[in-house]
Amino acid sequence: MSNILNTLMQDDRVWQGRRHKQSTQPAEPTGYQVLDNQLGGIGWPRGALSECLLDAHGIGELHLLLPLMQRLSGNGRTVFLLNPPHTPYAPALAREGIDLDQVVIVHTDNDGDFLWTLENCLRSPVTGLVMAWPGKLMSRDIRRLQLAAEAGSNVCVLFRERRYADQNSPAALRLDLEPDQNQNLNINIVKRRGSWPGQHCSLTMTHRADLSFSEAPGVVQGPWPASGR
Amino acid sequence: MLWLYLHFPHLLLDHLRRSHESQGALVIVEGASHKVIQACPMAKEQGVRAGMRLKTALSLSPDLHIVRADEQQEARVLEDQARWLYRYAAYIVLVPPDGLLAEIGSLQKLYGGLPAVWQTVEQGLNERQLDAWIAIGHTPLATRLIARTGQGECTSDTGHTMRTLSQLSLFDAGFEDKTCIRLQRLGLNTLGEVFSLPPAELAKRLSPEVLARIQKIQGTRPDPQTPWQPPHRFRQQTDFVQEIEHSQGLLFPLQRMLLELEDDLCWRQQDTDSLLLTLQHRHQEPTRLRIRTSGPEHRAEAFLKLAQIRFEQHPLRAPATAVILSVKRFIGREAPNERDLLGDTRDLNEAWHTLISRLQARLGSDSLTQLSPQADHRPERAWSASDVVRSSRRTPASELAQLPRRPLWLLKGPKPLTETPATWFSGPERISGGWWDGQRVHRDYYIAQLHTGQLAWVFHDARDGWFVHGWFG
Repeated sequence: MSNILNTLMQDDRVWQGRRHKQSTQPAEPTGYQVLDNQLGGIGWPRGALSECLLDAHGIGELHLLLPLMQRLSGNGRTVFLLNPPHTPYAPALAREGIDLDQVVIVHTDNDGDFLWTLENCLRSPVTGLVMAWPGKLMSRDIRRLQLAAEAGSNVCVLFRERRYADQNSPAALRLDLEPDQNQNLNINIVKRRGSWPGQHCSLTMTHRADLSFSEAPGVVQGPWPASGR
Repeated sequence: MLWLYLHFPHLLLDHLRRSHESQGALVIVEGASHKVIQACPMAKEQGVRAGMRLKTALSLSPDLHIVRADEQQEARVLEDQARWLYRYAAYIVLVPPDGLLAEIGSLQKLYGGLPAVWQTVEQGLNERQLDAWIAIGHTPLATRLIARTGQGECTSDTGHTMRTLSQLSLFDAGFEDKTCIRLQRLGLNTLGEVFSLPPAELAKRLSPEVLARIQKIQGTRPDPQTPWQPPHRFRQQTDFVQEIEHSQGLLFPLQRMLLELEDDLCWRQQDTDSLLLTLQHRHQEPTRLRIRTSGPEHRAEAFLKLAQIRFEQHPLRAPATAVILSVKRFIGREAPNERDLLGDTRDLNEAWHTLISRLQARLGSDSLTQLSPQADHRPERAWSASDVVRSSRRTPASELAQLPRRPLWLLKGPKPLTETPATWFSGPERISGGWWDGQRVHRDYYIAQLHTGQLAWVFHDARDGWFVHGWFG
């Protein structure tokens, strides 16, 4: 190595990736060891926004957050679901051991109310987790939410469409979720504050419907061919 | 018995001035005769006097605010004062239109002497910015007469009271004009001279009623009084001299009313969870705004914040001439939870109620729901949404394990299946029921994966074909 380079290194004027320390920001484990490892061993950041980018519902996106919901609701923290696209099904949530008294569903009519509600939830000490399905968000709206999230110390997950992956966002963590044909959820880390993007992992989501792939499908062959489809 | 009388010489004027920070001269005018009956100090400076005709007053002070006297309003304001006085004295008698009588003989020991009682009341009056003439006497009527002439003194000495009384002129003693004239013709000019007449002669020459009145003043004839009982509700009205056009302008008078409500609730040791605000308009139906909190609350500050959110959401339809705050529902105040020594839970409880109340105030209480499972086999009826309440009931774990495997997302209604699923996993699970209430359901449920990778809960209905009913999210 040349002399000049050596001097630069010794002077500490160049940041070196291998000296990167584990980030110390507060976080909640995701409950999935594989994903935790990819997220620097810590999980969902607290006091910051996270984004899940996905195109279709029913790919295991709620199951991704289920361990967190179970833990927080068990600790008496409130979980808010803001503008969910479908009805969160109470018997299924109860079966997963979530304390439904701590789950509050909020519906808002317009974007102004949505942002206001989300901000208020984020700033409150009672909130453990906010899951929100925004319509269209401007970049400055996300920044406003990020500031609100920093004021509190709870986990906030925004579910957005995958086409926003290219759009710049101040969220601390952005995950790109994609299903495959074997009931796995492929997670691509688009952005992680204090680290590099690009890691990916795959979570098995067969447990959400008690399915196991080694077995032959347990369908009683019956009405499908006969019904003409 | 010892009585205390409060005479409010210009109650309505004080009431109006209280809800007003800055304003010009203000007078109260009698409805029929157009005469000024009460004038504020600023009006007096400009030469307006009580008893003057309105035209004269207007020529003296052209930008005079004029308020017409209203008997009902006066009675209401008087009742407000009674409610306040009830904190200090239990036995209160309303003397419309402008007086309050309270029995204080039994209170001397409580307050530590008559001067202390006097001082307490006087201080309260100052805080409420009310002008009142106070008197103490041995009979209700005598006390009233002394108070009305403004010669009240803090003494329980009967002799002193009688001396003050005997110097009163006949007019001040409240006799009718005809009686006054007759007594004057007899050569009597003060009440003391009337007292010295033999009762039998008086009854014969004048009338038994006059004798009864004199004896009631002296205390030789019983004068029973009906004590006033405070109603079990809170109602307060603020009238505006100038109409308020912006809802922000309502917050200032509202804050004072809410502070009084807080005081009142503190005295009752009660909380409330719903307030009714009625805004009166000149030409329109009054606007009613109900402000709910999610839990028991008594702090004015909390109510004010909720009101502010409501006002932001609902701008005024028309300028408001008066605002009425009423509370009918009271909740006994609970002792703080004993479980937590450090009080953390209580703070969280409070924060929870604050947050939920704020959200409900802005979004409407229908927008917030909580879910719970219901005992029904039909998926769309196996859950219910209810209002948000803070509770700590827990379903036993054994019950939970028995629930069948269900998707986390339920569609708002079944959606027709448009493609052949890629993979089939399990099924059928037959759900048939509802014959008892006409919502018949007869379906075979399957779990299947679509080509998009979504795991769906699909069913085949015997009549209508294939539908998606849920996503395994």
